[in-house]
Amino acid sequence: MRSFTALRMLLHDRSSTAGSLLGVVAIVFLVGQQLSILFGLLNFMSVLVDHSGADAWILSSQITNVDAANLIPSSYLERTIGLPEIQWAEPILFGNGLFKKKDGSFESVRVIGVRRPYLAGGPWAFVSSDNRSLLDVDSVTVDRLDLPKLGSPSIGDITEIGSTRVIIGAITDDARGFQGTLVFGNLEKVRQISKIPPGRYSAILVKFKKGVDPKQCIDKLRVILPRASVYSTAELSQLTRTYYIINTGIGGSFGFSTVISILIGVVIITLTMYSSVLNRERDFAVMRALGARRRDIIVVVISQALIISIIGIILGFLFLAILFNAVRGTSMPHYYPKIVPPIHAGITIIVSLLGSLVALRKALKSEPASVFH
Amino acid sequence: MSTILLEKVARDFTDGETIRRVLFPIDLEIYPRELTVLSGPSGSGKTTLISIIGLVLRASEGRVIIMDKDVTNLSDDESASMRLKLYGFVFQQPMLIEGLNILENVILSLAVQGKKIQNSEKQKAMQLLKILGLEDYINMQPRLLSGGQKQRVSIARALIKDPPIILCDEPTSALDAQSGQVVLDILKRIAVEDKKAVVVVSHDSRVFPFADRLIKLEDGIIVSDTQEEYTN
Repeated sequence: MRSFTALRMLLHDRSSTAGSLLGVVAIVFLVGQQLSILFGLLNFMSVLVDHSGADAWILSSQITNVDAANLIPSSYLERTIGLPEIQWAEPILFGNGLFKKKDGSFESVRVIGVRRPYLAGGPWAFVSSDNRSLLDVDSVTVDRLDLPKLGSPSIGDITEIGSTRVIIGAITDDARGFQGTLVFGNLEKVRQISKIPPGRYSAILVKFKKGVDPKQCIDKLRVILPRASVYSTAELSQLTRTYYIINTGIGGSFGFSTVISILIGVVIITLTMYSSVLNRERDFAVMRALGARRRDIIVVVISQALIISIIGIILGFLFLAILFNAVRGTSMPHYYPKIVPPIHAGITIIVSLLGSLVALRKALKSEPASVFH
Repeated sequence: MSTILLEKVARDFTDGETIRRVLFPIDLEIYPRELTVLSGPSGSGKTTLISIIGLVLRASEGRVIIMDKDVTNLSDDESASMRLKLYGFVFQQPMLIEGLNILENVILSLAVQGKKIQNSEKQKAMQLLKILGLEDYINMQPRLLSGGQKQRVSIARALIKDPPIILCDEPTSALDAQSGQVVLDILKRIAVEDKKAVVVVSHDSRVFPFADRLIKLEDGIIVSDTQEEYTN
């Protein structure tokens, strides 16, 4: 009956209930939207690492992120590939160049060179053609979301990157990076574009054989290659993300926005629930006079906060789903991992309960003796 | 045997640094089957007295014994449970909870500590509302009822628990003459037929003819305690 009374009070006090709901929806929607952009950007930061298909990466020593790797000698590849635990080891090159558009202007691009025929570390999703196009020495891929920036080239178009002739061989689907437009090509072409000397690579991607202990293999590689950095793919991804979060201010910026969103929600919930309890002060006093203990009043107010937070969470997630659906396929970064919604919902419930504390304090102050005045 | 026994009960209030005595030591026994009226001018202490009797206010001095149990020093929760078990309240304003319909307002009195309502209790509430002439209003919101109807709902809310003590604070002051008469008839019947101790605080002279006992307070002191001559 206490929870039922709480529900009936909420249904009756529509304006304050709507206000509290708005607070919860604001928390869920604004924080969810901020988080989805943050996770989307995080994905961009480590996109090459996460989609490499490798178990480990070998890079120059003391790197802070995958994009800051200095060139390493090709001898590292030969020493790696000879190990019995290694299924394959493939080099990759990162460089920069200017993409020549149809109108003669240029756009700066990040070029990634992968070795034929494995094409390890190459693009992973396509809207036109596929990976095999990179088997052609002049072929490069561009992303559909970057097409307008690059002058809307089509498959088969011939252009230049860094004064080197290339052919648009395939169009990728959302294979985009944090450091700008990604263009994939084969190793030789990228070496030519970026003027990287022969016998040098940006990194070596390593795949271990099934059944071997990755940690042991990585330790072994660190012993064999003492002047290189050897990381598991997960470690390198985390290292890169952490670097960008700290050094670009993204972490602070999104953290601040998230905290502000939560604070706005808490203030709205606090004010509306307080005003609702203020209007119901006499009712709580009546309930106390009728025999309600303090804990019974707590149950009523907490039930109200829980009902509001659960409905608010459902509405907030519904609005988020609509937003995610609307931005799907656009250049706006968004990613909302499956593990996040339960945590997000749990935090929202806690925040709603915190927002109801002031109201609860007021409700508990309702004096049963006041009914006789 | 008395239902309510007050021994040297007094009450002080603090105004900043000064202590003001609003109720001087009072000895009082209230019996079942009687409608006892507490009367007196504003500030006479009658509200304080009924609040102490109703366990919503603590006495500063003295002992309060309800149904042979000393309840003077009960905790807040224990007092609440005593109120739930032993008391029915009818306030000056009906104080029904908006959002709950009439039937729910009545059964709230049973379930305010979270008890699950049995079907038989719901039937009893409907029966009570029927006796009080409110059977057509059970699903209505309180705001749609007249003042007299609301007060009858609050009487049903007080009676649903079948408590031995009914405390009423100015139950007729907000009602017209006819509604007031109906409410007083009901309260009198409850006292006499249901063998309950009914205490009514009122300075409305229309109430006096219904009293089995009239206690007058002035400046925190009982100045008269009379029986029979006011009996209807």
